[in-house]
Amino acid sequence: MNRKQFLSSTPALLAAITLPVKGIAATEREVSAIVPPYLKSGDIIGITSPAGYITREELMPSIQLMESWGYVIRVGSTIGKRDFTFGGTDDERKQDLQQMMDDEDVKAIMCARGGYGAVRIVDGINWEKFTLKPKWIIGFSDITVLHSHISRNMGIASIHSKMCNSFPDDWSRAEPIQVDTILSIKKALSGEKMRYETAAVINNRNGMAKGRLVGGNLKTLESLAGSESDIRTNGKILFVEDTGEYLYSIDRMFWNLKRSGKLSQLEGLIVGGFKVKADTGGEDFGKTVYEIVMDKIKEYQYPVCFDFPVGHQKNNFALKCSIEHTLKVSDDICILKEL
Amino acid sequence: MIIPPYLEKGDTIGLVCPAGYMSAEKAAACINTLDEWGYRVITGKTLEGNSSTYFSGTDEERLADLQQMLDDPGINAILCGRGGYGTGRIVDLLDFKKFRKHPKWIIGFSDITILHSHINRNYKIATLHAPMAGAFNDEGYKNEFVSSMRHALEGRRTQYHCDPHVFNRPGKASGRLTGGNLAILAHLTGTRSDVPTRGKILFLEDIGEYLYSTDRMLYQLKRSGKFDNLAGLVVGGFTDAKDTPRPFGKSAYESIRDLVKEYDYPVCYGFPVSHATENYALKTGARYKLTIEDELVELKESL
Repeated sequence: MNRKQFLSSTPALLAAITLPVKGIAATEREVSAIVPPYLKSGDIIGITSPAGYITREELMPSIQLMESWGYVIRVGSTIGKRDFTFGGTDDERKQDLQQMMDDEDVKAIMCARGGYGAVRIVDGINWEKFTLKPKWIIGFSDITVLHSHISRNMGIASIHSKMCNSFPDDWSRAEPIQVDTILSIKKALSGEKMRYETAAVINNRNGMAKGRLVGGNLKTLESLAGSESDIRTNGKILFVEDTGEYLYSIDRMFWNLKRSGKLSQLEGLIVGGFKVKADTGGEDFGKTVYEIVMDKIKEYQYPVCFDFPVGHQKNNFALKCSIEHTLKVSDDICILKEL
Repeated sequence: MIIPPYLEKGDTIGLVCPAGYMSAEKAAACINTLDEWGYRVITGKTLEGNSSTYFSGTDEERLADLQQMLDDPGINAILCGRGGYGTGRIVDLLDFKKFRKHPKWIIGFSDITILHSHINRNYKIATLHAPMAGAFNDEGYKNEFVSSMRHALEGRRTQYHCDPHVFNRPGKASGRLTGGNLAILAHLTGTRSDVPTRGKILFLEDIGEYLYSTDRMLYQLKRSGKFDNLAGLVVGGFTDAKDTPRPFGKSAYESIRDLVKEYDYPVCYGFPVSHATENYALKTGARYKLTIEDELVELKESL
């Protein structure tokens, strides 16, 4: 079966799994995620770089720590490779990821880092074996391409979290927040139910939500609009984060979400870190991220949580994409809980 | 596609700023020149608007100003003073009812690509992708690019030539013209202002983007099917491109060349449509013929 045939048969496959007894086609909201097997001690985690380049040396802290968790690490052929900003040519990056997806011994794939480049190879990947034997794909930022593509086309859960380049060099001296962030990956991989609490901020909108969790880097989500990897948000809890963007650009990205229909049918919205690039002199945008977001969703009623610990910052906790969660936003606390 | 009436001497052009702030001083050369061309000029409240922010006024003010110009039957064309950012914040609130009954030329580029795309797609009315008020400054009013706007508004058929580029793919194409600023076209993807490109001649330009970001936007166009069934592709300027500390390794033109290599329609590079001085007036939505030969590149409006 070639890739095209395969892709076109995927929705049928999903429908077959989830079709209610009476034969009424399941709405997307009712479809539950396919959860890859959680990891056991001795399982293999593959490390690959589908986007930016990284040296083997830079991986060492992550390898050592994940080995101490009882996993076996397999380093992919893209590590140490470089084609300008990329971890090897498109072909090399695609082949490395493909090999890890197809190798049944590899139980999870951690992307070494983000950068830019996943979108250049995603259409060349053959998902056949991965769909038959799902495994955890781990990463964030540019890796949002893979989360979004997999969530939309295959309904397979994946882990949005820090990657190899963010493991602290010296674990014994790591800040508590770094430790908690990195350990959340281990918890997610070993099958623990995730539960995060964060202090409420004044701009939040209170409420309760229940739905599948999807999201990632906002710029990357915008760049997938209209494509085969475009995220579907109806009936879901959406999380977004970004870094190094001007306020006007953040505003424009939220307009894209809104105008492409991604904000109207949400169950809940989680806004993570937004490290804003300062406006240039005399060109103040005049609105905060809070205002930018609330302005787009004022006509809806779902809960909104700001400053959630997800993003390009130290506190960026592992989130299981595609899996059903509840979000509770109240005056003093926000709780995101895996069901 | 409806082509709005061309202008006659004595007609009125409305000058409005639907996006970024512009001082009246910066529009003075433009107003003088339009006057010399024989047009009356009415300036909107958003020119030198009462604003301390990035915008020429609040969303409400910018919306009201543009709406008034769209609705006023005494205004025969609307020239946007400048781009920047902000048109997308008001486009869904504009009421095009009167404009559809009495179409008029909407002129601008960059952020104004939103109006071109939105109007072309939803109302099938042609618009003018052309220099804006700032382009008249520093004796810009004397150059052929600003003049091309005058000629387009007078109803002359636009016909342009440019130098061949080593990346050009020769051939002939004919189709409606669509396009504009790449970042805006990418941003509009998936929205109701997104223009289908099948059978069309697409033109692209951009300014000040990181090379990786340009590549990503091009991938978005490609992955949303916009390169698949083009009649032809016209690549304008990608000026002031930025690079990351780890070099990207490809110019914008190389990214485009790589992404369209699987197709066989004609492609030209370095066409004078850009954020630099070189920026010919193009009638978005109108039919054009593109001819690319070894020694000649011609983009010519069809009858």
